[in-house]
Amino acid sequence: MKLDIVKFRFWCLALSALLLLPGIVGMLYSTVVTPTHTPLRVGIDYTGGTTLQYGVKKDITNDKIAELRNNLENAGIENPLIQIINVNVAKDNTDLKSMISIRTKFIDSKSDTQQKITQTIQKNYPNAELVQVSSVGPTVGKELFKNSLIALTLALLGIICYLTIRFQFDYALAAILGLVHDVVFVCGVFALMGIFYGVEIDALFVTAILTVIGFSVHDTIVVFDRIRENLRYYAKKMSFSEIINYSINQTLTRSINTSLTTLITLFALYFFGGVTTKDFVLAMILGIAIGTYSSIFFCSVLIDIWKDKDNQTHKPTPSVQPAV
Amino acid sequence: MKNRIIMFWGIVVLVLISLVLILTKPTKLGLDLVGGSRLVLEAQTTNSIAKITPDMMDSLMFAIENRVNKLGVAETVVQRSGENRLVVEIPDVSDLEQAKAFIGDTAELEFKAPKGDAEYTTEWVSTGLTGKDLSKANLSTNASNGQWVVDLEFNATGTRKFAKLTRELVGKPMAIFFNGELQSAPVIREPIMEGRAQISGGDNGFQYEEAKKMVDLLNAGALPVPAKIIEENTVGPTLGADSIAKSRIAGIIGLGLVMLFMIVYYRVPGIIADLALCIYGLILFAIFKTIPVTMTLAGIAGFILSIGMAVDANILIFERTKEELRAGRTLFTAINTGFDRAFTSIFDSNMTTIITCVILYCLGTSIVKGFALTLALGVVVSMFSAITVTKNFMLLIFGTKSLTNPALFGLRTDEIGQGYQVTETKKENAKFGIID
Repeated sequence: MKLDIVKFRFWCLALSALLLLPGIVGMLYSTVVTPTHTPLRVGIDYTGGTTLQYGVKKDITNDKIAELRNNLENAGIENPLIQIINVNVAKDNTDLKSMISIRTKFIDSKSDTQQKITQTIQKNYPNAELVQVSSVGPTVGKELFKNSLIALTLALLGIICYLTIRFQFDYALAAILGLVHDVVFVCGVFALMGIFYGVEIDALFVTAILTVIGFSVHDTIVVFDRIRENLRYYAKKMSFSEIINYSINQTLTRSINTSLTTLITLFALYFFGGVTTKDFVLAMILGIAIGTYSSIFFCSVLIDIWKDKDNQTHKPTPSVQPAV
Repeated sequence: MKNRIIMFWGIVVLVLISLVLILTKPTKLGLDLVGGSRLVLEAQTTNSIAKITPDMMDSLMFAIENRVNKLGVAETVVQRSGENRLVVEIPDVSDLEQAKAFIGDTAELEFKAPKGDAEYTTEWVSTGLTGKDLSKANLSTNASNGQWVVDLEFNATGTRKFAKLTRELVGKPMAIFFNGELQSAPVIREPIMEGRAQISGGDNGFQYEEAKKMVDLLNAGALPVPAKIIEENTVGPTLGADSIAKSRIAGIIGLGLVMLFMIVYYRVPGIIADLALCIYGLILFAIFKTIPVTMTLAGIAGFILSIGMAVDANILIFERTKEELRAGRTLFTAINTGFDRAFTSIFDSNMTTIITCVILYCLGTSIVKGFALTLALGVVVSMFSAITVTKNFMLLIFGTKSLTNPALFGLRTDEIGQGYQVTETKKENAKFGIID
């Protein structure tokens, strides 16, 4: 198998644009439409609020939501957000079938709102058991959001510094653009999922994004490492574009195999793992798939285009280039 | 060869130590796996307390610890977090609502003097005598009317302050406030020197529950500053059991498939990689138990991801070795060059992961921290296992012989040695791993 990436480099960029565009549109749409004005639907971790989850031992269909909402509103709960989560059927020691997740404003520990909700739920589902409570104060949410952004920025700076030292600034920049490419893709998909399925991002999502960053750079570096090595040996024999093509093809099997093994474990987690980490795992699956794509079809192409530009501006050697 | 055998036994010893550690040490499971409650309390500033000092936090922590211990649940954790926060973790709490109310409830006892000289006043000023000056509170009944009352005993400073206060207030009322509410305002007849006082519930007296709660709160130590629960995460034991069972199944299936893939694709080196992977798992698990790292759902996810990266190191090495074999190098040279060349990629890529993990660990919340720690440890151990375990086993098995059967590496016979045309390396040089 031999891929001629450099020949089709503009097609590669076009494909990247095509992959990212729906997500970017989704994020813009979400920023305008959602009450929080964020590109993604954010959960209580960022907005503050309380989520109560009840485990029920029978299947609940989505059409029961309206009834539940009515009951809760009658009990004096303002704007409860209700979701039914279907629990994977796996062989284990519990027989939870569905979970009812109810999100409200932040419930103060001194109020009796929580009992009210539990009573209302148990009217419909006598066996419902409160299995999870998360509550985040309004100020904590903002702080978490700020801290997440700071962590992200610092992680990027750290990676840029390391790559500039080990490679060159060009390569560092390409790797960073590659990871932005990947992060935008994953965020875009989640923005669309937020619009169509009401999926919200939580504190774990940031973890997933940071993992995607780590993996994306990991993948890109393996290719760059090969380019760096080949440049050392073949710089005089081959053109830069040839070296890039050559390096990509040399690392192709490895890139595919590595993604494959990581994806195998992640898919196992997705299909057989707990329900609470599903979205988290999905974000990583998307990120790792796109990370492999971008390391082959995006980052290397960027380097090639930049090098071409460099050669044209710095070395206008008319003796080599035929006059037009 | 001798070094390799020493190394081999070194690895065996390491595995044995890991096994012993795994079998003897308990696994620390996070609250999201066993069920339990994690509360974040924030110290609140009030009119009288403008700034939360570290000293205040120390005594708040002490008071909260006292209260948490009174719940009678094993393995509770109270930790400082940031400047004005405490994280409280309570596993398996049966009545969370009550526990929460008890932990977060303030027990502000204050003795106040009337403002001005008026005999009947509704305005009071602080005297500096508070719940901090108590040594003990008791529940008892008033001998004359049988109502429930709370007996207070002051400590040495409290006794002095109380004596001074009562001396000044002879003939005037002294108000006792509990959590900002006036409980009673007895008129002081004479100075009280022995450091005892009593709170009666005013004209109606206290209900038993009311008085009992007040005594419990006062004895558990008044919170020096009011604290509020600002974050809560509770997982019921059912969901915890569900998560742990499922993560286990997912882990076994995922790992099994990865191992199968490695053997099918890489043949004998694949078996070595799987062995290295098992050793990697054992060492890492032993480290988790020794530190100890609390296993949470996010932590398990980090662990599984690190398996992916551990496999990657092996894949990089094998692909490089295969390339060297294709280029016509001897097995021994191919393995050695394969490792050396793959190492820079492994090192650089893993370093960036570690950098990200360190930043996450320093800035992240507790969920993110658990993830970052397991991933970083996983990456470090995976580098160790790839460099020592995989390399050593490869050299032990293949080191001395030449490759008679390329299928052992998943290569076709006609692939061997074809690389000369591609790399233009001279055959004599290639044998020694030299590239021109």
